[in-house]
Amino acid sequence: MTFLEAIDKDLIKVPMTARNGKEAVEELVGLYAAKMGLQPSESEGILSSIMERESLGSTAMENGIAIPHAKISGLKNPAVMIGVSRIGIDFGGKQPSSIFFLVLAPSENPAEHIQILSSIAKVCSSDLFVRMLRSSKTKDDVYQLFFD
Amino acid sequence: MGKAPYHSILVYLDGSEGSMTAAMYAILLASSSNAKLHAVYVVNTKALGDLVRARIFIDQEKNEFLEDLKKDAGRHIRHTERLAASKDVEIITASLEGSPHKEILSYIKKNDIDLLVLGPVNAIRSRRDELTGENDRMLRTSPCPVVVVRDADDSIWQQFEEV
Repeated sequence: MTFLEAIDKDLIKVPMTARNGKEAVEELVGLYAAKMGLQPSESEGILSSIMERESLGSTAMENGIAIPHAKISGLKNPAVMIGVSRIGIDFGGKQPSSIFFLVLAPSENPAEHIQILSSIAKVCSSDLFVRMLRSSKTKDDVYQLFFD
Repeated sequence: MGKAPYHSILVYLDGSEGSMTAAMYAILLASSSNAKLHAVYVVNTKALGDLVRARIFIDQEKNEFLEDLKKDAGRHIRHTERLAASKDVEIITASLEGSPHKEILSYIKKNDIDLLVLGPVNAIRSRRDELTGENDRMLRTSPCPVVVVRDADDSIWQQFEEV
């Protein structure tokens, strides 16, 4: 599955309501849990994996984008949650993060995981694209940006 | 019409189910055309390096993924070798490191490959060039003819079992 194939309108949140990094991750994992009908213990496991990874070093980039991610054993398909915050959230970077891509990928397919993260890094290297993403008002705006 | 004029066939393995279907098809092609068969997996160290530079990966994570990818390469190469052996087809395998499409193009030139077999290419869902996949890049830039095997093509699995 590619990055584009993993994008799902139900997994996009605009605007995010989180006020800190942990809440941001919870908000995005919450989208996935609702979509997949996860048990609270399963959501908690995903949340722990993400936060554990973040504790090793923040995935916040210099341009206000954060890409928290985790390998999840037994996951059938990768998932990408996208969130846009109006206020910016402290995610451990030099500046607050206002765009989040939260990536979950099966640990059994590392090549797919790398491919998805790499695609996100490439699209985020475009200043124009990032500006457009940051100014998105709705999930449809975000979705449309990728599929125009 | 005689046999297809293929002497050296290369199949690109990327760890996906689609690339395993492509490997089966390449084995059938090599068997029917008596061509030499190569199978190559490329560990995408270019992407790993890019992810560290972008601060998405830390060094420890990069090393873990590198090991995971090498294991994945070994697994897929061994599986392809077993598939080829089951059809009495000789196969040359390699696990390379770098940017997949560049490594494959270089391998094609060095080894006089005259047919490249790929798993499925992405449906065109975005005009953004950054989102072009490795298979798509190989398809567009290969110096030799390319066969693209469709992911959903069950007939290849069936054909492989029957031959």
